[in-house]
Amino acid sequence: MNEAVVADAVHKTYGDTVALDGVDLAVAEGEVFGLIGPNGAGKTTLIRALTGTTSVTGEVQVLGEEPTAVDADRIGLLPQSFSPPARLTARELVDYYAGLYETARDTEAVLADVGLTETADSWYETLSGGQQRRVCVGTALVNDPDLLFLDEPTTGIDPAGRRALWDLLESLAAGGTTVVLTSHSMNEVQRLSDRVGLLQDGQLVAVGTPADLIADHGGQSRLVIGTDTDHEAADALQTAGFTAAAGASEVVVDDVSAIDIGEAVDVLSAAGISYDSLTWTEPSLEDVYLQLTGERFEGAMTPGASVVTEEPAESAAASPQPPVEGASTGGDK
Amino acid sequence: MSRIRRIRSEAVAAWHSFLRRRTAVFFTFFFPVILVVIFGALVRTQPTDGGLFAEPAAYYIPGYLATVVLFTPLSRVGSEIARHRDDNRFEKLATTPLRRTEWLVAHTIVNTLIIGLASLLILGLVLLLTDATVPVSGSLVMLVPFVVLAVVLFCGFGAVLGRLADSQDGVIAASNTIALPLLFLSDTFITLEQLPGWFSPLVELSPLTYFARGVRAITYAPAVGEPSSGPLLTLTVLAAVFFVAGAYAIPRTD
Repeated sequence: MNEAVVADAVHKTYGDTVALDGVDLAVAEGEVFGLIGPNGAGKTTLIRALTGTTSVTGEVQVLGEEPTAVDADRIGLLPQSFSPPARLTARELVDYYAGLYETARDTEAVLADVGLTETADSWYETLSGGQQRRVCVGTALVNDPDLLFLDEPTTGIDPAGRRALWDLLESLAAGGTTVVLTSHSMNEVQRLSDRVGLLQDGQLVAVGTPADLIADHGGQSRLVIGTDTDHEAADALQTAGFTAAAGASEVVVDDVSAIDIGEAVDVLSAAGISYDSLTWTEPSLEDVYLQLTGERFEGAMTPGASVVTEEPAESAAASPQPPVEGASTGGDK
Repeated sequence: MSRIRRIRSEAVAAWHSFLRRRTAVFFTFFFPVILVVIFGALVRTQPTDGGLFAEPAAYYIPGYLATVVLFTPLSRVGSEIARHRDDNRFEKLATTPLRRTEWLVAHTIVNTLIIGLASLLILGLVLLLTDATVPVSGSLVMLVPFVVLAVVLFCGFGAVLGRLADSQDGVIAASNTIALPLLFLSDTFITLEQLPGWFSPLVELSPLTYFARGVRAITYAPAVGEPSSGPLLTLTVLAAVFFVAGAYAIPRTD
């Protein structure tokens, strides 16, 4: 497969600050590549390097050309913190950007894609923050680009709008559009991206599919059982082969798959141990992020996908807990 | 065709964006109007042997026109560039087929339309409120290239200011600082005889001087007959230089 984006040993400094420190990256045609990383990690600078809007050392190729030489009709960009010209309606803004290209998509179709048909005649300033961002996304789609750069596309968009935009991006990707996006929403990146790159301090510290990154860096799934008889519960579970540790009114069981939860509950029931709650957590991209960036707070655990069941403080044997099913994360890709 | 399409799209957006900013529209036209009313109608010119406003009213037509020809493009284009930079619009435009020259052409067209309308308003007010008369002849048409060239020149100048200043406030401050002395020291409101002898050569350095002299040769009866081709040629060369400098100054990267 051809590579739509290639970056080789890309460096960028602002004064004494190193923004990019030898970034190597290749994105295949048709791939959706997600860039994650802390604020100031270099995500926006890397997008600018790839779009030729900042000068860097090293080599960058976009669609086989240098970024400033590539056919602009094939590129779409949504910059971070972007505001279009004032006092124009959503329709006029899409029209305006469409007019800059040799050929462009139908304005009404673009407005429909970003869910702004009903507010198309409202001035940009009068739209909500989420609607404004959708207009901006629309301006990046007007030329039906082969390669789309989106720097935090869903910032400020409500959950419904965000999901609509995800659907749109998935349909673009299905149609062969290469997408490079940055986001602080791990759900978004995990759902949309074929591969993810984690930038930290200007370096690409990990690249892989979401599943591979989670497997390599996400840690184990975990079941936390709320119970006053924590030591007895831990002993029973250890005897049954689980890796369990007693804590303060809880037992933490590591490396438990969703289908093993029923077995753990059966062990507790058989031992006559009652419990208040069950919380199951499976590792997610957010755990990868926190693990690799070192930003995880001591003792914290991200509820990537958790199921909590509560039980009256009676013997579990009297009302055994059903196995917890369907508790997987939203990682569709 | 695609180049025209791009320029048209940029110009239409800029035109709508300007027309819908009521305060910007109001003050763009109010500023020259208030000058004409104050100096032309209230203070009135008093032909004597010296002092300010000692010439006949028509002598100051180039000065009144210069207020819009000079201030409007300097501040508007400069501010627009600062706004574009603050809002990352140039970052986006850099990935579209629109070229920097085309952007400046589009905004120059918009400024020409605005300033053309303002110039007509000023001329009408001067004739209405003062006792100025303008010799009616075919050479009045030559006002058009003088206004257009001056707008092109100061749009380019404004683009350079927008590049150099780091904020919209900076652009406004810089454009006022530059425009105010230019307005009064370019053979517009103050005659060369009123200036110290050593200063006169400096007047020749102001691009606005050539606009003022050319327009005066068309609109002020005692000056009619003086060649306007020299000022027009100089203004053409300066407009080309400033436009190229302005187009080059428009940011493409950070």
